[in-house]
Amino acid sequence: MLTLGSLAFASPWLLAALAALPIIWWLLRVTPPAPRRVPFPALALLLGLRPREETPARTPWWLILLRTLVAALIIVALADPLLNPPSRLPGSGNLVVVVDDGWTAARDWNRRQTAALDLFGEAAREQRRIILVTTAPPASGQAPDPLAPMRPADARAMVEGLRPLPWPVDRRAALSRLKAVPFTGATAAIWLSDGIDSPGTAVLARYLASGAGLYYMVAGAAEAPRLLAAGDRPAGFAGQDFAVTVRSLPAPPPRPVTIRASTADGAVLARRQATIPAGADQVTVPLPMPGELRNRVARVAIEGEDSAGATLLIDERWRRRPVGIIAPPNLGGQPLLSENYYLERALSPFTEVRRGEAADLLKRKLAVLIYSDAGPDSAAEEQMVAKWVAGGGLLLRFAGPHLAEQGDHLLPVRLRRGGRTIGGALSWEHPARLAPFAASSPFAGLAIPNDVTVSRQVLAEPDIDLAGKTWARLVDGTPLVTAEKRGKGWIVLVHTTANAEWSNLALSGLFVEMLRRIVAVSQGVTEASEEALPPLETLDGFGRLQRPPPTARPIAGTALAKAVASPLHPPGFYGIADMRRALNLSSGIGELQPIGALPERTVRTNFARRAEADFRAPLLTAALILLLADLLIAYVLRGLLRRRPAQIAAGLAMALLLVPGIARAEDSFAIRASSEFHLAYVTTGDEAVDSVSLAGLTGLSDILNQRTAVEAAKPIGVDIEHDQLVFFPLLYWPVTADEAPPSPAAAARINRYLETGGTILFDTRDAGEVVPGPFGTAAGSRQRLLRLVGGIKIPPLEPIPPNHVLTKSFYLLHEFPGREAGGQLWVEPTDDHVNDGVASVIVGSDDYAGAWAVDGHGQPLLPVVPGGEHQREMAFRFGINLVMYVLTGNYKNDQVHVPAILERLGQ
Amino acid sequence: MSHRARLRDRAEQTAAALPPLLVMAERVAATVAQGVHGRRRVGQGETFWQFRQYQPGDAAARIDWRESAKSQRLYVREAEWEAAQSVWLWRDASASMDYSSADWLPGADWPTKRDRAELLLLALASLLVRGGERLALLGGGIAPISGRLALTRLAEQLAGDAGGPAATAGLPAFEPLPRSGQLVLIGDFLAPLDAVNTAIARFAAAGLKGYVLHIADPAEEELPFSGRVRFEAVEEPGAIVIGRVESVREDYAERFRRHRGGLAALTRAVGWGFGVHRTDRPPHLALLALHAALSADRRR
Repeated sequence: MLTLGSLAFASPWLLAALAALPIIWWLLRVTPPAPRRVPFPALALLLGLRPREETPARTPWWLILLRTLVAALIIVALADPLLNPPSRLPGSGNLVVVVDDGWTAARDWNRRQTAALDLFGEAAREQRRIILVTTAPPASGQAPDPLAPMRPADARAMVEGLRPLPWPVDRRAALSRLKAVPFTGATAAIWLSDGIDSPGTAVLARYLASGAGLYYMVAGAAEAPRLLAAGDRPAGFAGQDFAVTVRSLPAPPPRPVTIRASTADGAVLARRQATIPAGADQVTVPLPMPGELRNRVARVAIEGEDSAGATLLIDERWRRRPVGIIAPPNLGGQPLLSENYYLERALSPFTEVRRGEAADLLKRKLAVLIYSDAGPDSAAEEQMVAKWVAGGGLLLRFAGPHLAEQGDHLLPVRLRRGGRTIGGALSWEHPARLAPFAASSPFAGLAIPNDVTVSRQVLAEPDIDLAGKTWARLVDGTPLVTAEKRGKGWIVLVHTTANAEWSNLALSGLFVEMLRRIVAVSQGVTEASEEALPPLETLDGFGRLQRPPPTARPIAGTALAKAVASPLHPPGFYGIADMRRALNLSSGIGELQPIGALPERTVRTNFARRAEADFRAPLLTAALILLLADLLIAYVLRGLLRRRPAQIAAGLAMALLLVPGIARAEDSFAIRASSEFHLAYVTTGDEAVDSVSLAGLTGLSDILNQRTAVEAAKPIGVDIEHDQLVFFPLLYWPVTADEAPPSPAAAARINRYLETGGTILFDTRDAGEVVPGPFGTAAGSRQRLLRLVGGIKIPPLEPIPPNHVLTKSFYLLHEFPGREAGGQLWVEPTDDHVNDGVASVIVGSDDYAGAWAVDGHGQPLLPVVPGGEHQREMAFRFGINLVMYVLTGNYKNDQVHVPAILERLGQ
Repeated sequence: MSHRARLRDRAEQTAAALPPLLVMAERVAATVAQGVHGRRRVGQGETFWQFRQYQPGDAAARIDWRESAKSQRLYVREAEWEAAQSVWLWRDASASMDYSSADWLPGADWPTKRDRAELLLLALASLLVRGGERLALLGGGIAPISGRLALTRLAEQLAGDAGGPAATAGLPAFEPLPRSGQLVLIGDFLAPLDAVNTAIARFAAAGLKGYVLHIADPAEEELPFSGRVRFEAVEEPGAIVIGRVESVREDYAERFRRHRGGLAALTRAVGWGFGVHRTDRPPHLALLALHAALSADRRR
């Protein structure tokens, strides 16, 4: 490779061909251009003429220069020039490329992939073999294939197929695989690292550096992978607010992150920005949300970072469930000692506590209902609660003096009358401690503080199924917590009080934990047993939920909380759809530690890459374009283009100007017609009629602008044959004697216009004659109109009814005069549901435009018959009503306006 | 104009009894008629020409007594010589005539040699008809007739017929004609001089007077092309590539002059008239010369 500054040639020996350019120049000079062909009758006279100078070297110098340039371009292009070529790889033997492809790689996976591909390109140029090592355990869960040197092209294909895997890397395993292949002093190593320390990292780095050198590529500290964690247990949500922690490596610059909480179907519920402070390695981001919203959260993720690590799956355990506490009247008058106070304090961190009467509480959705001591007040309430429990609710009850005396039906076990006092003055026993929780209990795994004792409790009758119903018991075996499934719900009884009267359990942290477990049970999470939970949906390396891979194995419910994601247990949801539990990457990964000191002979660099630009394609393209230009020039020189310059020019003009010109003309009409509201009239071809139409609509537009909110621009005359009609809500169409009926195409366009909401006002302008029918008996106008509308689908018409919208759309009108008066106005009977109740065709005969017509000074052009400014005013009012009717539809027909109209009518 | 369009044009002209060409020819002829203003038209029939003194031997019946009574001498009344001449017209209809260099030269606009030849022929015919001459197309197989009918028929023949059996030769085929006849030959006469001489000499030997109009395209005279050009023959296959036309231009022009000089010499040798015409010049000039030559011939 030849390097000139930032420019390099991959095949520099080809540049030697540039030396041949002078020869090419000379050859081009001596090769004559192709002759013009000219027919010539007097050929005989030419025969035998000896030209004094057979010099074809009239190829112009600039043409030779052009051709030489083409040759030079091709030569330079074949030499494969590169801008910013990658720097040389260390060593000369095989190239070991270690790629960290765990969850940490997903954040900048594309850059890693590109960097690796660049390296392979370089290796291909140096013809080196590549040993590609990926450090994450393969998704198959089996031992990966032994390593072997491969061609860069194969390695390329492999890397292109690589995807980050949603579990941590295992560098020890990678090292042991690597040790199986020869690693000599000439072997160079390149490590596309994630920068996160893990067991075996130092050993691997030392081994890699033992060859020709280690090329260590890692993202900048600010771009280090980030892990979204909620703590190792749902306890991370212990606060009032939903909060997550973003963990990363410490880095000097502050790093902003945006956390997004979304539902299972992707709707964003909350979005919060935070910044990892300078030098820090984590930040905790609260996500305050109303309880109902919080319960819908299925996923929390770092925005813009598609990675399994930046995704936190939320399962049911972490949702704040509404808990209702039945609040009896506080008779004791000591609120801080009441059971409800204890319960509320214990529950409020992780649930939404409501207090009130049972009937009120159950009106809203509730996960847990708590009775402390006293049971339901009435049979009705008992029934209501029983029904709710059967439907899936969890009823939690605490014992107390009342319960000890009188039981009810909402109990998991039968109780003996009276409580049992342990360690009392007359008792020989000490207050009892709690026995360790059985593995099948929901409380399994909770640590029991030594100082928790129970001094009084209610006792269950020793039934056969008592053991199965017992979730917790005292050291002497008497049940402390019993539960029974009723329908879909549960009834749980704590055999002691919720305050500190009977037991100091309520004072301990265990109380809170037990309540949390109980509340969790309410959502369907049953005994955290050894029962294996099958994978339901798993995350891929980019944090996308998908069907679990076939290699994913079920995981024991108990193991889930502490499990580290692995090929066998990829992060995701486990269990069944109704009660799924999430395995998050963060649950098994602690703090992120940066990789420490690297061995000597290590070149540390990042993925930032100077764009390597290959000039081969652009140069060849330029050469091709120049060749085409040369071809054209050759044609011109041979006179082949001179034969029909006019045709060629015309063709070029057609191609360049005409077509866009037409399009521009159409566009400009459309833009003009649609940028403002225009009244429009149909040009008849009769100069006088058209000028009256224009003057009439101009006058009407002026009046509209003066009196109404309609802002009408200058009227437009439309050619019914050629112009688009759709821009105009209203078309004024004066009927003349000699107007040709529209062509079929135009008629089809008019029909479409009428169907899609346009309105046409036909004006037969013959009110002087008697007009009993819509098309007049005056044979002339009748024939005219019938002929004119031949191809148009005119709906059946009726004389305008007295309460038609046209009579009240702006002014209240009883007559519709134009320049003449007395003509009957015919409209299409309308249905309010079609076309907003606007008639598509209105036929009148009073020469409306004539009455509206004004000259340039706004003075009326034509006299009205029989006359009077009153008639002209009425004509204008009809015009305004018509435009309003067309623009607003049946709005004025709304009964809302009836009072106002009646008032204006003075009734 | 493409060949096809030209063909259609001709067909249309034929269908319309050739008014456009005729009209154009008439227009050209009218300008020439004005050009020879003052020439008296010779009427048919009884027109008086001159009185001449009686000479012994004149028939007594020829004496104009009224005139003779005015003086002491006897006068004989002489009428206009009414013997109309027959003129045979010919134009070269070979392919080489269907050529105009205007297609190959920028800014050029002139008709093909054939169009010009036919225009001149018809215009001349129009003039001759006005003069009462009888005319026919050489090789047309029709005896000379006079009047407008002759003109119409001539035009039909020009449009319909490619020029007779010798069309390709570019030279008129010999046919026996009355001695008093006149012959007008219009063509490019690019054939070798010997061949031209042979053709003309036979007519001359038959006692016919004639006139040769040599029509040339400007390109044929000046060879205005430049650069490397491949010249292709029009009639028979053949081509020649000239590397640099400018360099042979003068030689060619010399050759052309010599060819034309040869033509002039051989027509002069048989006592015929000779004229040249270039298609980029107005047709009137050639027509004027033609007509003058024919009239002079007839007055003799």
